[in-house]
Amino acid sequence: MERIITNPRNNWQSAVEKLGFGFHTTNVPYWDESAYYSFTMPEVLKLEKATAELWDLCLGAVQHVMDNNLYHQFGIPEYIIPLIEKSWTEDHPAIYGRFDLAYKNGEIKLLEFNADTPTSLYEAGIVQWFWLQDFDKSKDQFNSIHEKLISYWRYLKNYLYNDTLHFTCLKETLEDLTNTEYMRDCAMQGGLETDLIFIDDIGWYEGREVFVDTQNKDIKNIFKLYPWEWMLQDEFGKHIVADKNKTLWVEPAWKMILSNKAILPILWQLYPKCPYILPAFYEANQMNSYVKKPILSREGANIEVVQNNLTIEKTEGEYGKEGYIYQELYSLPRYGGNYPIIGSWVIGQQPAGMGIRESTSLITNNTSRFVPHLID
Amino acid sequence: MKKSKYIELVLITAALSSCHQSNNDWENANSHTYIRSDSSAPYSPVRHYGGGGGARMWYYAFRPYGNYNNGYYERAGYYSDAIHPNANIGSNFYKGSVVRGGFGSGGFSVSS
Repeated sequence: MERIITNPRNNWQSAVEKLGFGFHTTNVPYWDESAYYSFTMPEVLKLEKATAELWDLCLGAVQHVMDNNLYHQFGIPEYIIPLIEKSWTEDHPAIYGRFDLAYKNGEIKLLEFNADTPTSLYEAGIVQWFWLQDFDKSKDQFNSIHEKLISYWRYLKNYLYNDTLHFTCLKETLEDLTNTEYMRDCAMQGGLETDLIFIDDIGWYEGREVFVDTQNKDIKNIFKLYPWEWMLQDEFGKHIVADKNKTLWVEPAWKMILSNKAILPILWQLYPKCPYILPAFYEANQMNSYVKKPILSREGANIEVVQNNLTIEKTEGEYGKEGYIYQELYSLPRYGGNYPIIGSWVIGQQPAGMGIRESTSLITNNTSRFVPHLID
Repeated sequence: MKKSKYIELVLITAALSSCHQSNNDWENANSHTYIRSDSSAPYSPVRHYGGGGGARMWYYAFRPYGNYNNGYYERAGYYSDAIHPNANIGSNFYKGSVVRGGFGSGGFSVSS
C-alpha cells in the first residue's frame, strides 16, 4: 500500500459533478484526487479475505447477543427486541455494511463496523471508478460495488413484499440524498419498482395503523438511510412495532446490534485469537493506551485517544449518554501526515470493494477526505 | 475486480445534477412566499434557502394526494411536504387522518 501524489484532472470538479456528485467540496475539500493509494493484488486479496471473515464473525456475534440476552450493553429499548429477533430469525432483507479497517505493515485491524447506515457508497462505487477510467484505464480497482448492488437487489426482490420499495433519508442533506438515490438507482436496475420519500414526510395513518407515503399509499418495503437508534427516539418509533403491515425495513432491525460499538468487546471476547480484532472492553481496565468511543456516535464525535495514560486527541459532540467502549489503541498507518482508513464494503454477504478516507488527525471525522485507489 | 466497461445510471445523474444550477434572482435567501395546499387551510410562510432550483423542486413540490380505499384511489387534493401541516390539511377529512413529521428529528445528516 503506497500513497502516490499526482495531478488532479484539469476539469475534475465538472467531471465529478456530471456524475451527480455534488458534495465534493464543502468548507473543506472532501473528494481529493491530488493523491491516490496503490495496492498490489495480494494486498487486495488479503483485505477481501479479512472482510469475508469479519462478516462471518459478526453474524456469530449477533447470535451470541441474542442467545445471552445482552441487549442492555447496547442501550437497546426492550420494546424493540422482539422485532430485532424476528428480523433475524426470518432473515429479513439486508443489503450492505462497511468495515472500517486500519491496514499497516500487512496487518489488518477492525476499528468499527458501519452496519446500518454506511455512507460514501457513491464515492466508492462510482466516482473513484470513473476517476480511474480517466487516470489509467489499464489499471484495476477493488470495486464491484455497483454490480453487486444491482445483482443483490434483483435477488432480494423475491424476499420483499410484492409492492413498491420506498427509499428514505433526511431532507436538506445532499450527501444522504446522493447515497439514497444511488441505492435506488441500483434497485431500479435490479427490476424493483421504487419511490422516494423524505423521512419526515412519512405518514402514520391513525385509523389503519400503517405507514403511508405522501399519496397515502401503504409503505410495505422501505430502505432507510436513517439510523435505527434515531428512529426509536423519534415520536413514530413506537409505531414500528404497532405497524399492521409489518413493513420490511432495510437495513433490518437486527443491524442495530452490529452498528453499535458495544459489539466490539463482544467480538474480542468471542474471538480473541482473530488477527483482525483489537482488544476491547466496557471499562478501560488495565489498558493505558486506548480509544474511548461512545457506543452510538457519528463522524468521529466524542472520541478520546489515550496513550500511556495521557489524552493525545479528543473530539467534542453530543454522544455518550448510552455508554462507552474502550478499544486498544492501534497505531494507524501514516503517509506524509495523513492517516488513511479503509472502508471495506460487504454487499449481499460478500466483500465488494473499498473506499479510502484519510485524515490529518488520528480521529477520522467529517473533515476527512475521500482518496481514490487502484491496483498496480 | 474488473467492472463492466459500461456503467449505466438510470436515475441519479439527471436528478442530482439539477441541484447544482446557479440560483435565479427570485431565489435570494431572505424572500418569503405564502402558500397552502388546501382551500380550507390557512396560508403558511415558507422561507427560501440556498441550494438551487432543482433541489427546491423536491422540497416544495405539490403532489396529488389521496387514499386507497378497497383498492380504489380516492383523490383528496394536493399536499406539499415542505409546508406546515396546518397549511396542508385545513378541514379536509382524508388528509387529517394521517400524521406526518414523526420521523426525522434525529439529526442533520447520517454521515457515517
